[in-house]
Amino acid sequence: MESKERLDVNGQLTLKELPYIISWDAAKCTRCGQCTAVCPQKAIEPAVFVQRLVTSDGSLPLPQTVRQVGHGIRQVTDIERYCVGCGVCSQVCPNDAIFPEYNEAHKFAFHKNQKGVPYKRGGRRNSTEISTLDQLKFTRISMLTDPALDAGRHEFHIRTLLGRNLDPEAMPIIVKDDTLGLDETVFIPPVREIFPIRIGGMSFGALSPHMWEGLAMGVAYLNEVENIPVVMCTGEGGMPPRLLRSRFLKYFILQIASGYFGWDEIIHAIPEMQEDPAAIEIKYGQGAKPGDGGLLMAFKVLDLIAKVRGVPTKVDLASPPTHQTKYSIEEAVAKMITSMSMAFGFRVPVYPKISGTKTATAVLNNLARNPFAAALTIDGEDGGTGAAYNVSVDKMGHPIASNLRDCYLNLVKIGKQNVLPLFAAGGVGKTGSLAANAAAMIMLGASGVDCGKYIMQAAAGCLGDERNRCNLCNVGRCPRGITTQNPLLYRRLDPDKVAERVVDVFKAADTELKKIFAPMGRSTQLPIGMSDGLSVSNRDIAERLDISYAC
Amino acid sequence: MYEIYGIVNGKRVSSKDLEEQIQAAVKNGRRELKIIADGQHGIGGRLWPTPEDKKLIVEGTSGQRLGSMGMMGTEILVKGSCSDDVGWLNCGARITVLGDVTNGAHNAGAQGLLYVQGSGGARCDTMTKFNPRFAPLQSWYFRDVGDSFAEFKAGGIAVVCGVNPRHPDNILGYRPCVGMVGGTIYFRGPVTGQSEKDCRIEELTDNDWQWLLENMPPYLEAIERTSYYDELTADRTAWRKIVALTPTERNDMAGGRLPMAQFREETWEAGVGKGGIVGELLPVEERTIIPYIAYGEERRFYPRWDNDKKTAPCAYNCPTDIPTQTRTRLLREGRLEEMLELVLNYSPLPATVCGKVCPNPCMDACSRGVFLREPVEIGYLGSLSQAVPAPAKAAPRPEKVAVIGGGPAGLAAAWKLALEGFGVKLFEREPELGGKIYQCIPEERLPRDILKAELDRFRALGIEVETGTEIDRQKFTELQQEYDAVVLASGAHAPRMIPFPGYEDVIPGITFLKALNNRQPISMENKKVVIIGAGNVGMDIAVEAYNLGARSVIAVDIQAPASFGKEQQMAAARGTRILYPKFTDRYVKQEGKIYFKDGSFLEADAVLISIGESPELGYLPDEVARERGYLSIDDRGRTNVEKLYAVGDVTAPGLITHALGAGRRAAEALLADLDDTAPPDYSAPMVDYNRIKAEYYDRDCQKAPEDGDTEALRCLSCGTCRDCATCEEACFRRAISRVETADGGYEYVVDESQCIGCGFCEAVCPCGIWTMYPAPE
Repeated sequence: MESKERLDVNGQLTLKELPYIISWDAAKCTRCGQCTAVCPQKAIEPAVFVQRLVTSDGSLPLPQTVRQVGHGIRQVTDIERYCVGCGVCSQVCPNDAIFPEYNEAHKFAFHKNQKGVPYKRGGRRNSTEISTLDQLKFTRISMLTDPALDAGRHEFHIRTLLGRNLDPEAMPIIVKDDTLGLDETVFIPPVREIFPIRIGGMSFGALSPHMWEGLAMGVAYLNEVENIPVVMCTGEGGMPPRLLRSRFLKYFILQIASGYFGWDEIIHAIPEMQEDPAAIEIKYGQGAKPGDGGLLMAFKVLDLIAKVRGVPTKVDLASPPTHQTKYSIEEAVAKMITSMSMAFGFRVPVYPKISGTKTATAVLNNLARNPFAAALTIDGEDGGTGAAYNVSVDKMGHPIASNLRDCYLNLVKIGKQNVLPLFAAGGVGKTGSLAANAAAMIMLGASGVDCGKYIMQAAAGCLGDERNRCNLCNVGRCPRGITTQNPLLYRRLDPDKVAERVVDVFKAADTELKKIFAPMGRSTQLPIGMSDGLSVSNRDIAERLDISYAC
Repeated sequence: MYEIYGIVNGKRVSSKDLEEQIQAAVKNGRRELKIIADGQHGIGGRLWPTPEDKKLIVEGTSGQRLGSMGMMGTEILVKGSCSDDVGWLNCGARITVLGDVTNGAHNAGAQGLLYVQGSGGARCDTMTKFNPRFAPLQSWYFRDVGDSFAEFKAGGIAVVCGVNPRHPDNILGYRPCVGMVGGTIYFRGPVTGQSEKDCRIEELTDNDWQWLLENMPPYLEAIERTSYYDELTADRTAWRKIVALTPTERNDMAGGRLPMAQFREETWEAGVGKGGIVGELLPVEERTIIPYIAYGEERRFYPRWDNDKKTAPCAYNCPTDIPTQTRTRLLREGRLEEMLELVLNYSPLPATVCGKVCPNPCMDACSRGVFLREPVEIGYLGSLSQAVPAPAKAAPRPEKVAVIGGGPAGLAAAWKLALEGFGVKLFEREPELGGKIYQCIPEERLPRDILKAELDRFRALGIEVETGTEIDRQKFTELQQEYDAVVLASGAHAPRMIPFPGYEDVIPGITFLKALNNRQPISMENKKVVIIGAGNVGMDIAVEAYNLGARSVIAVDIQAPASFGKEQQMAAARGTRILYPKFTDRYVKQEGKIYFKDGSFLEADAVLISIGESPELGYLPDEVARERGYLSIDDRGRTNVEKLYAVGDVTAPGLITHALGAGRRAAEALLADLDDTAPPDYSAPMVDYNRIKAEYYDRDCQKAPEDGDTEALRCLSCGTCRDCATCEEACFRRAISRVETADGGYEYVVDESQCIGCGFCEAVCPCGIWTMYPAPE
């Protein structure tokens, strides 16, 4: 209904509705404009302020008006321009005059569905509760009962196997000319020996070219200089053609997902490949947003992305929540695993990745029967995403700990725990305890873990957190230059520095894993499934995970 | 020599008893002891200093930790090999072993000497200390040592002579020196696998060599191998030493052996190609690193001085398109005459319309009114132009145009066409020009002299006017043939009636007003008057009815009245009541009552109706398209017939200002059509109110609107630069400056190399000129 008068604040929000409130100190501010120049949301803007004071000198009312107009910074209450709390304003402020403060009492969720569009964002589940992984403790310390190892002194072999391991009796070992050998007529599944923490799939496109190159280069450095065989999954979005044809391909897991982006380019490149990839990951689901697909919005599909993915520019690239031609576990998994194995001459491990779900064991049992299935990755609800509906991120998905545990115990039941490796993802390193979370997952039964958010935060300073800070990954305005295709933003990020931090992170995690495994007496073999080493001070968790209770 | 036996009468003496016997012997003054041991622990340790040295000879099987916690002044000679941890935590004893030592020799040793005639086992010389109060510990091994040698070595000197080693390819065993932080290891022979993150291998210095030459003879003598002196000292280069890295060196190592930039260049780009993984896809200038605060082309947003790019609210809301913001600018610049003349390019009747009869939507929209509740007196600015002569006409054109109708639309069209140089002839049915302005507006609201003055100026422009001429079909056809174009502006003059019973007795409002303005008023003396239709014309009628002696006037309407402003106020002031909703059922003149469908009635001696008028289109051929009783036109005022334009009420009902605007726009369109050019564009959007910074202005309560200059200063100059230089001052980096242009004007420009795109110029601009744009992709 139209009003007769021009309205002022009718229908507008107050600052108190917003999740972050800007604190601005007029006395410290020089009005240099650096904060407003960098704010990714335009949540703050320069403004004109008028101050008016009526004074009266002497002993009689002799009013005099002093009126002064000045300039400063104001936060806007437009819900589309809400302050995300990234804090880049405070970073560039020369005088510490401005910073965002979290507003506990915000009412953001009541308003962030304008035009009937539910809130969409990137990031992670907004939950500050302590995750199960962070509650697990390592309690079986070798105190004279068995050899205590010294993490600094002993040699460790922190490695895991990615690929299907034949049962010893199934190994086609033969004696030929008095020496042991293998019967080469029998198929032996391909296996890679890798570092048990992998970098999970983040696509070229979701990430900026600088971020992606930094990660990739760091991975190469770790392998070739530090001798830590870390592998990285491409995510769905293909791989830059140069890398695809380089000898570094062996450090990368190529992901194929429901959009199949970049795969015709990959197939064209196969005859030119110098090396096989580390593995092929078939993505069926993402822990952060089960049932929500992916969409690289047209504005992000610039020339570069288009070339890598083999598509025209400026078109929406949709990865549906499901693969279009897969109808059942038996049919879907077998079909994809066979196709992808065949693509690389059955020389490359091929495994599916699914969202954490109560039905994971059903998938697992199917894989256990498939001689070409190399592993299973389960991605729990605490995984991250570049873009999803808030409701999917916050409310959909299964916590990884019990899901992985169920799967491992299921493998034990069918006697395949040493055959089919499980990889766990989603919330590993959520609060910064990368190695501890990884070790806990391993002792619950994982052969290895994936990390994504952790690496973005640690290697590139991603600002996101569980209080919905920043989380602008989906709109192309990442203030760090991590998840944007805008050169004016991603050029803030130095790939060399990202790579250096990737190296730091894995070297440190390697040491921390030793610091955990050494007192437990493990050095050369991962304590996969060594759940008697774990305890938790929560009886329900202890019971559910079948580990000991300690308090 | 005093002898102590480890086995007495075939029974082994316990470690405790043997230790007590040794301690007692020393206490009793024994200084030379021979121990025939049987694996007892810790033999020879803890013999506290005495004035004379003590010498122990150990035969038999020495146990673990021989000489542990050994003190200065104690010398132990082991005749044979020795068990684990010999010299553990040695505090100064001199221990000679004429055989091998097993694991952990000199572990945690701090001072003293260990001379070994054979090899060392695993973890020898680990955790050795150096206490600056004492001379450093020495450990000498004649052959080689076992694995994990010198772990966490923190001080002391170890010498491994490498004579006849058990492992000739590596005389320090597997992974020596892990965690080594101090001390020196001299060695002679091959070494591999030492912990490079803790130590490094160096050549011997002169001092090192001198030390070896000096300390070698007593060692060789002690272990009875003096004959090896020459061999061991023959070649200095056969010896090397291991020293611990300094803490600084270790930290540097932890930071990575290879700088990433070097890895990128030598390894990464060698593998994927120059420029990295997207080197061939992304131009190198899109790869360099830029700061968060960026300048020039690296800014994400940049400002533009968008002067006059958007329309001020007054002009945007003026159906006649009069740009008041330009008039006030001219005033501020002291260009009064230009200012007064400007409006005449838009309207022939500024004093009449803007100044008197127009409801002034410009003022309703005025930003000053919106923010400070006191708009600029724009109507008054129109009045100022009453006596200003017409602007100069353009060069005469050959074309002639006929305008049918002398109301506001026709007048505006004829005026503009004449100014553009056309020969114009205007036909008016009534004796006087002005249309409804003249016929229907009470004199009380429009003094006749104002209209007369402006109509005189109109005629003075050289427009041929023919009044009292009714146009019929034949005449129209003639005009079409005679003139290059015809503009239809015949208005709407057929009163709308509602055919309820008794409607024949109702007086059309327009008839009433025309009679009045023709000085032949219809008497309302002492009558109770009901007016059907409570719009502004109804209000005019109500006022005039009172003027003509009405006892009471009630206006009824079927909905909330459309009247507003001055008309409604004047009518209300005279006592007019408005009732709604009232649907008339019948008028019974004999009863003097008008009945409504809700059953109510009003007493009515006279009933007038004022619900609008319809165009009379009988004079036009059927081919001229119409819709719902009005002529159909396009957005430039063109009918479907070539060179036939229509404007004003003949196309749609509207205000006088609408008619003026339509007339002028049609004239402009006609000109553009003839010249095949584009007519002036009025599509610029309105300045957003939020872009106007009213904070700079104070409400001026004592405002006197008689002075045009005052209005110029009161105007917020929406969308038009007022040259205040606030932007220049506010810009922290002084990136904005004012420059004079060639045409005598000015503009504000940005030095892109100094601008970071902060948006302060946009925010502080009082007029909403500066606008931030995102960087092009």
